[in-house]
Amino acid sequence: MARQVGHRFPGREFIVDPVRVEEYVLALGVEPEPDYRAEPGAVVPPGFFMYVTSYGAGPVHDLLDFDMFRTVYGGSEVEYLHPVRVGDRLVVTPEITGVSEKDGKSGHLTFVELTTEYTREDGTVVVVERSNTVQRS
Amino acid sequence: MSLQIGDELPVVVTPPIDRLRIAYMAVSMRDPNLVHVEDSYAAKSGLPSVIAHGTFVTSYAGAAISRAVGMDAVRKIRVDVTAPVFPGDVLRTHAVVTGSEPVPDGRLLTIELTVTNQDGVRVGRGTAAVEQPAA
Repeated sequence: MARQVGHRFPGREFIVDPVRVEEYVLALGVEPEPDYRAEPGAVVPPGFFMYVTSYGAGPVHDLLDFDMFRTVYGGSEVEYLHPVRVGDRLVVTPEITGVSEKDGKSGHLTFVELTTEYTREDGTVVVVERSNTVQRS
Repeated sequence: MSLQIGDELPVVVTPPIDRLRIAYMAVSMRDPNLVHVEDSYAAKSGLPSVIAHGTFVTSYAGAAISRAVGMDAVRKIRVDVTAPVFPGDVLRTHAVVTGSEPVPDGRLLTIELTVTNQDGVRVGRGTAAVEQPAA
């Protein structure tokens, strides 16, 4: 079943298009650097990879076969290995790297750690994101 | 700017995270989760209203770092979302340098991060590693 440790989802292309980065900065209302412009070639804000592009690769609830009413995003750890620029074409490949279950006061909880690699066209891994998603039963 | 252990980064105070901002983020993320846009759906999860995406919390923490040291200097950020963010909330970031070790081209700084709302509730917590070139 899809929710097993080691399950690697097929890579999907994600183009870091300027309008998408601009929308993200607009939603936040806080620029990653003063006077930031999401122009082709500009560095992509580090926060952009904290979950936004996992969605770009396919909604996480579907990937994990979770019920979105009972699912909460817990946070991410992102490693920036090489600068990513607006206009870059990336391949986004999520893999399930941890599953655990716990009984807590909110009921039975399933934690899934998803490790997503963002790869440039030449195969270089530019960003690695580890995100945590929790489903309550 | 040359940061030392104990230095605090400039605080980022966010605009109110209103329903329009949450809608912008939902569209930007192509997020189909109605917990961010429909109160009746949020109620099914036991919430008093829609909530903002956790991405807001992680992103404001990231912005506090990048605004202080520049986007190119950021090597790693980790943020855990610890409480929901509701429409109208205003968040503040707190970031302090807690570690500094030498690396070939300068120093690798460790920064501890907290994000709190207008009531002092902690909504996010994490750490960052940034590279500071040799002076």
